Amino acid sequence: MDRRDFLLGTTAVGALLAAGNGLAFAQDAAVAPPITDFPREQTLIINNPDAPPTNPDMFNLWVAGAGVSAPNGLHQLSTDTLWFIDPDAGLDGSLYNQLASEPWQYNDDFTEMVVKLRQGILWSDGVEFTADDVVYTVETQMNTPGMVWSAPFAQNVASVEAVDNYTVKFSLKQANSRFHSLFSVRWNGAWIMPKHVFEKVDDVLAYDFNPPVSLGPYTLNSYDPNGYWYIWEKRPDWGKTAIAPYGEPAPQYVIYRSIPSTDSRLIEMVNGNLDMIHDLTPEGMFSLVQQSPTSRGWFPGFPYAHPDPTLPMVIFNNQDEKFQDKRVRWALALMLDARAISMASYRGAATLSAIAIPPTGTHPRDYHGPLQDWLIGYELDTGTRTINPYDPTVGLQVADMVRPQFGEAVPTDEAAIRTAFGYGWWKQDIEAAGELLTAAGFTKQGDQWMTPGGEPFTFTIRTQPEGVMNRFGTMAAQQWSQAGVRVTPEADPQLFQQTLPLGTYEAATAWSIETWGGDPDLSFFLESWHSGYVAQPGDRQTPRNWQRWQDERLDAIIEEVRKTEFTSPRNLELGHEFVKLMVDEMPVIPMMSFNVFSAYDTRYWTGFPTAEERPYANIVTNWANSKYILTQLKPTQQ
Amino acid sequence: MKSYLFFVLRRLAQLIAVIFAGVTAAFFIAHLSPVSPVESIIGRVSGQSSYSPEAVEALRQTLTELFGLDVPLHEQYFNFLGRLIVGDLGPSLIAFPTPAMRIVALALPWTLGLMVVQILIAWFIGNIFGGLAGYYQNSRSLKAVGVVAIAIQPIPYYIVAFLIVIVFGYLWPVLPISGGFAMNVRPSFTPEFIFSVLHHALLPTLALVISGIGTWFLGMRALVSNVVTEDYVTYAELAGVDQRRIVTSYVIRNAMVPQLTALAMALGLIFSGTVITEQVFAYPGLGSLLVRAVNGGDSAVVLAVSCVAVIAVATAIFIIDMIHPLLDPRVKAE
Repeated sequence: MDRRDFLLGTTAVGALLAAGNGLAFAQDAAVAPPITDFPREQTLIINNPDAPPTNPDMFNLWVAGAGVSAPNGLHQLSTDTLWFIDPDAGLDGSLYNQLASEPWQYNDDFTEMVVKLRQGILWSDGVEFTADDVVYTVETQMNTPGMVWSAPFAQNVASVEAVDNYTVKFSLKQANSRFHSLFSVRWNGAWIMPKHVFEKVDDVLAYDFNPPVSLGPYTLNSYDPNGYWYIWEKRPDWGKTAIAPYGEPAPQYVIYRSIPSTDSRLIEMVNGNLDMIHDLTPEGMFSLVQQSPTSRGWFPGFPYAHPDPTLPMVIFNNQDEKFQDKRVRWALALMLDARAISMASYRGAATLSAIAIPPTGTHPRDYHGPLQDWLIGYELDTGTRTINPYDPTVGLQVADMVRPQFGEAVPTDEAAIRTAFGYGWWKQDIEAAGELLTAAGFTKQGDQWMTPGGEPFTFTIRTQPEGVMNRFGTMAAQQWSQAGVRVTPEADPQLFQQTLPLGTYEAATAWSIETWGGDPDLSFFLESWHSGYVAQPGDRQTPRNWQRWQDERLDAIIEEVRKTEFTSPRNLELGHEFVKLMVDEMPVIPMMSFNVFSAYDTRYWTGFPTAEERPYANIVTNWANSKYILTQLKPTQQ
Repeated sequence: MKSYLFFVLRRLAQLIAVIFAGVTAAFFIAHLSPVSPVESIIGRVSGQSSYSPEAVEALRQTLTELFGLDVPLHEQYFNFLGRLIVGDLGPSLIAFPTPAMRIVALALPWTLGLMVVQILIAWFIGNIFGGLAGYYQNSRSLKAVGVVAIAIQPIPYYIVAFLIVIVFGYLWPVLPISGGFAMNVRPSFTPEFIFSVLHHALLPTLALVISGIGTWFLGMRALVSNVVTEDYVTYAELAGVDQRRIVTSYVIRNAMVPQLTALAMALGLIFSGTVITEQVFAYPGLGSLLVRAVNGGDSAVVLAVSCVAVIAVATAIFIIDMIHPLLDPRVKAE
């Protein structure tokens, strides 16, 4: 070995040793999970759609921006709160009394709320859950700015007290008939903190809560220091948790895996290494059911996907001069062909909705079905004539379009088609759209519509960089351009974080309507639509009224909702009034539900919720209420 | 020796200047991002319920103060320089208050391990075969290797990666297609953990090596093709020097100098991570972290990665410069 060989050799060996040592050191410093075998027949493996968290060791999900990944099992299996409202039918109705033993009790003017708690619930370290934990949760976050619920608690709560070990009384700063919604889980909610753990901590914001003390039926077994997987183990005392009334969770172990590539998710399920996938592409779903006879989606056949209670739509910036005339907004709606958008975005697997309510959960029963006659009879004055723009057969037409490709997988029963593909949508009517634009002062030069000011009517539509929303925006832009309105689609990775809040857009494909799904009450999104929350142009808009639309009639509906008890039938009437107002004004163009191509495999477990027989829970795995699924599962191999 | 010492000192001063300029540029570029970490967090948090404008403003003020963004940029810069000297780049803004360097330290070894190994393998194999192909220009088997290298070289990396996943994960599922190590193995310096890491690194490494090897092969073949026409090679051949010795000691060694420099540059690029590899193989590393940090407006993590990269690359080039005069007598330390 000469001098050069020695130099090269020592450098290479040194670099490799340094890298290897660093690897082991970094992992060791992060965590030391025990070596455990996970018998497959006792283990449920779930895909966590989130990317691995930036801070894999952090479990303190009460801190805003701490880099925690709640859907890694933490908020499904470990944390808990007072109530859950399922976006689907639920096991015994969509409202679950979870840590609360009964629904909320308000006083007459909604300035006080009393909560009765379940007794005999234990934290995983054996300490009893009591009213003191609830009081501590609220007071700590009110007194510690920078926590997730600090601001809404500080804004609403005058005081909170433990009347006894199992009763909590909230005194509110102002009337609020929906205060309980802060503790009602849709996707998540204000989780209860273990007072006996956090009160010993000097800096709540810096505390990692690792390992988490659990209030749910599972505790953390181990996790990847890089955050790609988290393994949870059933508590021996699961019967002392609030899920016990709904049954024993079947899996002994539950593993949440982050797998960024949808192709790899598909392969892992085919290979038996995944039982539940959160989301695939439409094409991935079609491929999966072809290749794996034990795999399926929410629907037994086409369109397979679960409709989330979220409503993708075209959102106009109503503060932009171009979109302030409702005739223009209606004209743009009538230029669209929903069938082509369904085919482009979801390969036909979309559940369409002409009204501003997602066609999912109990909403078709409460809204879409009952409003059909009104929609069919709805008349629109184009300035030249009166038309009936609604076509109740659009869902049926889409089913016919995909039948040649998917054959028997496409339902033939009309009711089943309406559930899967939606009811109807607006007929594409370029002539009526032209009449509306003409009535609004627009003129046509050649193939191009000109604004009343003589400028070409053009705009940009912002879309997400990929996926169904991108395809939706691209197809809508193409249809408008063909109809004489030059629209440019633009991918925007900061759509929800920056563009929509700041109002720096003309139109977008996104959503500003999300509902409970399992309840007709619309407060989940509607409260934020009050004109009091609409920002001035250039200022940041509070979620979710991204369209910055305001209307006195809308305010009147919202103000009555505020004074109406959550369970009152009046809420449904107010919801219908809202829908009709939205159709009249068209401040956004509702398109379809956000369909999630969730898949599950029945090789190791059965009992998953299904659209056709037991729609007892949202199949989507990152929602906290997916924990109820575990109580219904049965192993196929004992 | 005196001139070498002067050379080292001069290059050391340059190293310090380069690092200072690099981290300064990194600081201002990171802070020019239009993405605000505060607003990103507000978007996520307030999307979970009906936040009133008052509540949003309260959260905004709190986060701005917590993140130290309520002071002028130049003040933030001087604070940053002060902390950099002791290796503290402040807390991550998307994983607050965890130190940014700690988050980078978690991902860095995976990227280093994977990339160093794959670059060295691709470099070694590519140069050996490229050197032989350049010297034995009439060899049929080496010509065939050349054809394969030319065919593979332009295939986009993600195609290679997906093909490997399909072949070894689906058609012949014998190797893990995701993760850094098995779920039932404890991370530690044990044979079991090391085997598991190597087992999981096989496919990502294979994909990277297949994609990278062609460039080295073609580069080395071209270099050797020139070297073999040099007089000293002809002289050695005429003098009856053993052909194996001519190839290894005269031809490849002389052609190797630019390849060594290219190797140093390739190693420097490690710090941008391998986003596609990490996405396809669910493999931990710097690439995905950097993407998340950029999208979340986390200037602290972006800066931490950038500073590590600047310091490491500048230092690597410094070391190569120091070694060059020792490796190649033609390079003078002046």
